[in-house]
Amino acid sequence: MELFALYGLNFIYGIATLGLIVLGLAVVFGLLGVMNMAHGEFVMLGAYSVLIVQGQGLPYFLSFPLAVLICGFVGYLVEWSMIRHLYTRPFDTLLATWGIAILIRKTVEVIFGRGYQSVNQTVTGTVDILGVDYPAYRLVVFVCAVTLLVGLFIWYRRSNTGARIKAMIANPELAQAMGINTARLARGTFVFGVCMAGLAGALIAPLVRVEPYMGLDYLLSSFFILVVGGLGTLEGLFIGSSVIGGVDVAVSAFFDKTSGYLAVLVISILFLWLRPEGLYARR
Amino acid sequence: MNRRKFLVSSLATATMGSTFAAALARKASAADPVRVGVLIPMSGPAGLFGPSCQNCANMAANEINAKGGIDGRRVELVFADVGGPPADATQAALKLWKGEKVDAFVGMHDSAVRAALTGLFKGQVPYIYTPVYEGGECSPGTFVLGETPQQQLAPVILWFNKERGASKWYLIGNDYNWPRDTNKAAKEYINRFGGSVVGEEYLPFTVDNFDSSLAKIKDSGANAVLITLVGGASVGFSRAYQSFGLADQAMRLGTLIEENTLLGIGAENSQNLYSSAGYFRNIDTPAAKEFAARYTKAFGADAAVLNALGESCYEGITFLDALATKAKSYDVKKMDRSSLGLTFSSPRGTSTMIDRHVSQDIFLAQADGVDFKVIETFKNVGPGNNCG
Repeated sequence: MELFALYGLNFIYGIATLGLIVLGLAVVFGLLGVMNMAHGEFVMLGAYSVLIVQGQGLPYFLSFPLAVLICGFVGYLVEWSMIRHLYTRPFDTLLATWGIAILIRKTVEVIFGRGYQSVNQTVTGTVDILGVDYPAYRLVVFVCAVTLLVGLFIWYRRSNTGARIKAMIANPELAQAMGINTARLARGTFVFGVCMAGLAGALIAPLVRVEPYMGLDYLLSSFFILVVGGLGTLEGLFIGSSVIGGVDVAVSAFFDKTSGYLAVLVISILFLWLRPEGLYARR
Repeated sequence: MNRRKFLVSSLATATMGSTFAAALARKASAADPVRVGVLIPMSGPAGLFGPSCQNCANMAANEINAKGGIDGRRVELVFADVGGPPADATQAALKLWKGEKVDAFVGMHDSAVRAALTGLFKGQVPYIYTPVYEGGECSPGTFVLGETPQQQLAPVILWFNKERGASKWYLIGNDYNWPRDTNKAAKEYINRFGGSVVGEEYLPFTVDNFDSSLAKIKDSGANAVLITLVGGASVGFSRAYQSFGLADQAMRLGTLIEENTLLGIGAENSQNLYSSAGYFRNIDTPAAKEFAARYTKAFGADAAVLNALGESCYEGITFLDALATKAKSYDVKKMDRSSLGLTFSSPRGTSTMIDRHVSQDIFLAQADGVDFKVIETFKNVGPGNNCG
């Protein structure tokens, strides 16, 4: 029973963190169609902002504004210098952002070195839930992830900006004719997406290894989730995270981790092959 | 083989033949430097160890040159990156061997690359392999300095059984030959000392979520975990391990948790964590302390942190000095003969070569924050039987 509860908690936590990490890519790739290969690097920048804050002896929560600041600045620069010229050329954005990813990794390597960084945990210890000792910090991550996802969901549905973004995606020319500044709106959306990636990085930094190449892990699983879930909707993001995270947790629990990873790969390939639009695509 | 491939390869053979002849014609004189090819990862997953390795190798060469070189000949290092796949590493080594005309190789890289290199060298050039590895390398002209599982585990598992009551072991590692061979040795010692193995698991390199393994460890009732995960996986696993409060249930022992990995694991997550190796930065002997002081003096306090793999590159160069001085030649057969029973000292202590492996002191260290504290020294541990 206890073990069952533990797997259940791991399952829920897994979905929440996956959703949190993919959110940024879901915005940039799902809405703007930019295959952002540097997504993981923005997660990495977020994690390093925790390192900077802790290095100065400042409280952990200050790393959130710093992550937004750094990712916002870098994201703005990237959009202004490259991405805005490539919105209608998806394959070129893939190449350009891959180059940016390498540049960001190497820059961080030059500043901080290639080694693993030690990020301190601010919330340590375990909490008793359903008879299971569960890491307290994971609950913090869970609450933050759910708040962010639900908040964004409501905002996107209800706000004027949300409506403008939908208009821009549905028909850019018509949206422009209606007086929507699509160039500015697209830039804002891109910067918002990479800032979300940075926030996710700052949140998960105390739980994972922090080093210049950490972003690569998140890139691949993020694309898998979007392939399965479908592009352009938060529902798709949620479904994709559940399927990928759930299959991984379930298969790993019954067999081993290798089978879990294999199952994720097989499902992603099947989706790309048989249902490339995903389970819940924007219609 | 198609026509073009044939042309290319025969052309390559021809050039190789002519450079070979040129090399023979130019007999080494006392004034010529000894050229040593140093093969280390500067990219890829092990690239993390490149900087400390390069520093250590350079330091060894400078020190040898300061005392007049090897047998009056200056030492010159030529570095190559072998962090990529074995095929690329072979190309890089071939370039140093035939192009740069190196007299000997020192390598700190994974076993897949080593297997490719012994196939390339075929015992025609001395090759010193320095890192911790799974044991069993027996190619002629290959001199192994690193720790084998026998050395890292036999005395240590007995010690844990006696001193810490470790009886139920859970073995977890990445899915390749080093962890599998290490665990094969571990199982033998655990059984011999009256313990049992309650779980064994191998994870792919891409795994960054260890929840299901941790649930299994918790459920298995293990009171000791042997970690043969490498690098980032080791960091991620250990962080999650502590967050679940498992450190109180079972102690952790790693055979490749060095200073860098421990830094990534972090001070809050290193409770009840042990590591067994032939070198730690904090070994409390005059030789090791002096070595660490010289390293800091040469490269500054911000230099890549000293660790067993980095130090092994220093050891590789100084061992070459000892071996070449005794053999008075870089001929593999002469070196093979001279290596038998060769005793040499290094920051690790005094080691002796038998069967082209070394019997050396093994240190058991406990993590204390993000530093290791050596709590037990096992003197002169043999490398086990590696040929046969």
